[in-house]
Amino acid sequence: MTLSVVYAILFYAATLLLVVGVVRKIIIYARTPAPLKIPVTPAPTTKAGVVWRMTKEVTVFQSLFKANKWTWLFGWMFHVALAFVLFRHLRYFQEPVWAIVALIQPIGQYAGFAMLAGLTGLWARRFLVDRVRYITSLSDHLMLALLVAIGLSGLAIKYLAHTDIVALKTWVLGLMYFDLQPLPSDIFVLLHLGLVIILMVIFPISKLLHVPGLFFMPTRNQVDNPREVRHTAGWTAK
Amino acid sequence: MKAKRNTQRFWLAAFIFVLFSFGVMADVPVPDIPEAVKGEQCVEETGFMRRNHMELLLHQRDDTLRKGIRTQKHSLKNCFTCHVVKGADNQPVTVKDSRHFCRECHDYAAVQVDCFQCHTSVPGGAKTTGTRP
Repeated sequence: MTLSVVYAILFYAATLLLVVGVVRKIIIYARTPAPLKIPVTPAPTTKAGVVWRMTKEVTVFQSLFKANKWTWLFGWMFHVALAFVLFRHLRYFQEPVWAIVALIQPIGQYAGFAMLAGLTGLWARRFLVDRVRYITSLSDHLMLALLVAIGLSGLAIKYLAHTDIVALKTWVLGLMYFDLQPLPSDIFVLLHLGLVIILMVIFPISKLLHVPGLFFMPTRNQVDNPREVRHTAGWTAK
Repeated sequence: MKAKRNTQRFWLAAFIFVLFSFGVMADVPVPDIPEAVKGEQCVEETGFMRRNHMELLLHQRDDTLRKGIRTQKHSLKNCFTCHVVKGADNQPVTVKDSRHFCRECHDYAAVQVDCFQCHTSVPGGAKTTGTRP
């Protein structure tokens, strides 16, 4: 029961840090002026066009695709797989489980492997591509190591040493209902949850902020209408 | 000065949000795992069964199907000698009923099984779509 309490406290703290931290960053991003009109051309000339451009950017990583096919391949594979995996994990947070979440379960399992394959590719890139290797810092390696470790420990629960999945879900729901339940103390579960807590804590102070940051790129989110509308922001507004 | 006041407001909002979230306090939903109708102990220890019953069943399947070794201890059929839930008509409910022993937890954890596309889900072998129980 001690472990349940410790992990519960850590999860509450991590969730608070994640939410408050990311919201704070988003507020900072939103307030930071983009003084210059700098959409990368050819750029859309209407707001709807920008929405479409950003949609492509978020869903298929368009500019990365144009820039580098290998990075796109592994990066996109990782992100899509991660989306499936996260969606699959919704089952721990809802009762009854949505039909679509139940339906996605088998796909989510394969996505776990695809996620690791993508991460492996991205990590290999940091060793094998000279220019990338030169700018790679320790934190880049550690971030990849953390994500790989989360993926491996998760797959280990599924394929190596099962846990009492019902008890695990009860514990997670217990967190949400403020009704603490015993956590099954299997080593991979504790490892997986511990690593996720670390990820949640460093999310608002790391490169992972590209998730909200993506939407604030002036080169992608601006309408190409410098002659029709005078653009003023920050020091250009004075 | 304005920035500082905004920061204070932000923390106040965060604090209120946390307070409100305590309002949803309620009993956590848990599966209503049916008692076994007989016996004190499953074929293996309970904690082991909860984690590994699927491995036992799949191992049993491989042994039976591929090697022709048909034992009773870990067979799916043997599960239902104890783990049955009776319906209103005092007959064991099939897997179509959400009160079925397997379904209680499998629905909860959103894990689908394909056992019962062929196998029977009640003791004694009620009629199902497969050719043999």
